[in-house]
Amino acid sequence: MEAISPLPFMRKCWRHPPKLLVASAGREPVCFYLCLVFTVFSVREMKLHHRSGDWECGPQTPNDLGLLFGKAIQALSRISDELWLDPSEKGLALRSVNSCRSAYGCVLFSPVFFQHYQWSTSVKVNDNDSTMSNLNCKLGMKSILPIFRCPNSLERTVEKCKIFTRSDKCKVVIQFFCRHGIRRTHNVCFQESQPLQVIFEKNMCSNTLVIQPRVLAEALVLFTSSQEEVTLAVTPLSVCLKSSSDEPMDLTNSVYSEMFVGPDEFDFFQIGVDTEITFCFKELKGMLIFSEATHAPIAIHFDFPGKPMALSIDDMLLEANFILATLADEPSRASSPQSLCLSQNQKRSDLMHSTHNNSKADKNVTSKAPGCILSKAAPKRLYPSETLTNISALETCGSPTMKRANGDISEVPESSVSDTDRCQGLRICRR
Amino acid sequence: MKFRAKIVDAACLNHFTRVSAMIAKLAKTCTLRISPEKLNFVLSDRAASAGVSMWCELEQENFFSEFQMEGISAENNAIYLDLTAENLSRALKTAQNARALKIKLTNKHFPCLTVSIELLSVSSSSRVVTHDIPVKVIPRKLWKDLQEPTIPDSDVSIYLPALKTMKSIVEKMKNISNHLIMEANLSGELNLKIETELVCVTTHFKDLGNPPPASEDASQERPPEQMAEVHIDIRKLLQFLAGQQVNPTRAVCNLVSNKIIHFDLLHEDVSLQYFIPALS
Repeated sequence: MEAISPLPFMRKCWRHPPKLLVASAGREPVCFYLCLVFTVFSVREMKLHHRSGDWECGPQTPNDLGLLFGKAIQALSRISDELWLDPSEKGLALRSVNSCRSAYGCVLFSPVFFQHYQWSTSVKVNDNDSTMSNLNCKLGMKSILPIFRCPNSLERTVEKCKIFTRSDKCKVVIQFFCRHGIRRTHNVCFQESQPLQVIFEKNMCSNTLVIQPRVLAEALVLFTSSQEEVTLAVTPLSVCLKSSSDEPMDLTNSVYSEMFVGPDEFDFFQIGVDTEITFCFKELKGMLIFSEATHAPIAIHFDFPGKPMALSIDDMLLEANFILATLADEPSRASSPQSLCLSQNQKRSDLMHSTHNNSKADKNVTSKAPGCILSKAAPKRLYPSETLTNISALETCGSPTMKRANGDISEVPESSVSDTDRCQGLRICRR
Repeated sequence: MKFRAKIVDAACLNHFTRVSAMIAKLAKTCTLRISPEKLNFVLSDRAASAGVSMWCELEQENFFSEFQMEGISAENNAIYLDLTAENLSRALKTAQNARALKIKLTNKHFPCLTVSIELLSVSSSSRVVTHDIPVKVIPRKLWKDLQEPTIPDSDVSIYLPALKTMKSIVEKMKNISNHLIMEANLSGELNLKIETELVCVTTHFKDLGNPPPASEDASQERPPEQMAEVHIDIRKLLQFLAGQQVNPTRAVCNLVSNKIIHFDLLHEDVSLQYFIPALS
């Protein structure tokens, strides 16, 4: 795994957000075996009226699950214009990364969320290890968002939603079975693209807050939408959300707002380190909309400025993780080695290109790439139990940065890299 | 210069919030005049020296449980501040369920109106929200342009119809032309007219009623059927109407033929005067 050092962060606003470390998928070109066969992989029942709640999915209240699916897509649409559909045995994951790699969102719907969840993939045994291939399915938000955009009308008229795809068809079919025998079918073409995944040990953060979404929503009303950045300042005694004070306050209309929330408003309050972190407001809003639909509390995990923060919702039926980069507060030091960035970026894009080509050209070739190992070992969820596996996988890939991490991902990467980056950012790997 | 005030009553707070929302719709930047008895929101087109176009007045004791101010000097006991109305309105909107709201003039790098809100919350600890709204202090030499306007001697004075109705009509008329003619007479009739080469549209309002005349002579001289008309820019009228979210307690329109339209509104205890000059 190579860590690509980010471009120097330009502070003005999030047009040039903190860059993240992006780990490329390996030294050699990756070829995934792509002969996937997906049969119908999710069929879900939506009830017309809440009253007649008779869910097969368990004791979940007849809160419209279709609404949740739509809201998840809406929340992810705030992060990026593209969405990965990533099914696995753990469930269906919807992933999104913004173009500047400063925000990542993933909503994983467990198989029990669906009335019917089925997927299959061909597995090739190769060398010492078997490789599991993915459905490398990337959808444009422009295509998929309008389909799920009107959750209220979905609620009223749709009885069932069926989503299925086959990798060789290059399209996802979404069918709504509505009242009066009406059936609406949408065919959405997808692009072949490996989903990105973020490695982030949220349970190893020193600060954790769990809050009801309503409380957070009330706090965020304070901030005008013109404000891009919001700062969260915590001490063991108080939590303060305020508009970012880094920009020079000038007369032209920037209201500075701050809100103090007492520790007893949180469901869980653990502050190990007094800190102030600054992050992008817009991305938080997306997550908030989704959380209000789930009615589940939001857990916020964070550390020191520069280290990403995670907002997550853990529910019986789904798990959502939104990882946002935060601003590092050190004054800029040496400028980045631009050449290094470019070459590595190029490398990465070459990688993508070659992957794509290979997948198209030769479906029967499989190579054992570090990426594959990672995808097998890597948790779909970001839990500490799999940390060591992650690290060892990363270490075998020979990244100097990762090696130094030594079993503790939360450690700051080596200084020569962080010299240049204002933000340690998200570690992203291709699966 | 000092200014601190506090609101504890929920109804007063809501009313004040509504007033600031209305001001925000009427003007982007406006002047807040603070004096011992009153608060005024003033809009004056100083550049064009067209005089004050908006004058909104409220008695401070109808709103604030505590009110202290100290002007520039004893003789000039007032404070004039320029601010972006939207900022104040938004800050006040966050005080929906506040236990108390305090406003004070502060200096944090530059002058600010600091609005600090104590919110009620479910748990025992209350939440404190603070907004620092940047303001500009207006020097005394510019105060003369910001004085209360004199009410012109009008040719016709008439009560307005429902403002929402007027607004929807004027909105549609705007699509046809920017030039609106408003005319009214002392028989309670008001007309809104648009004239273009292709089409003329007139909306007639009847039985509106006229307020009693200021002096006996004026009413006797003028024939009740005779219309006084003013040609105005429709966008100014629309902006004025858009600001009125609630129906006012009293709404009077005074027309000075070919000169100016003066709107005199009363929202409970807040008075609003708005001037639209005639097109030259």
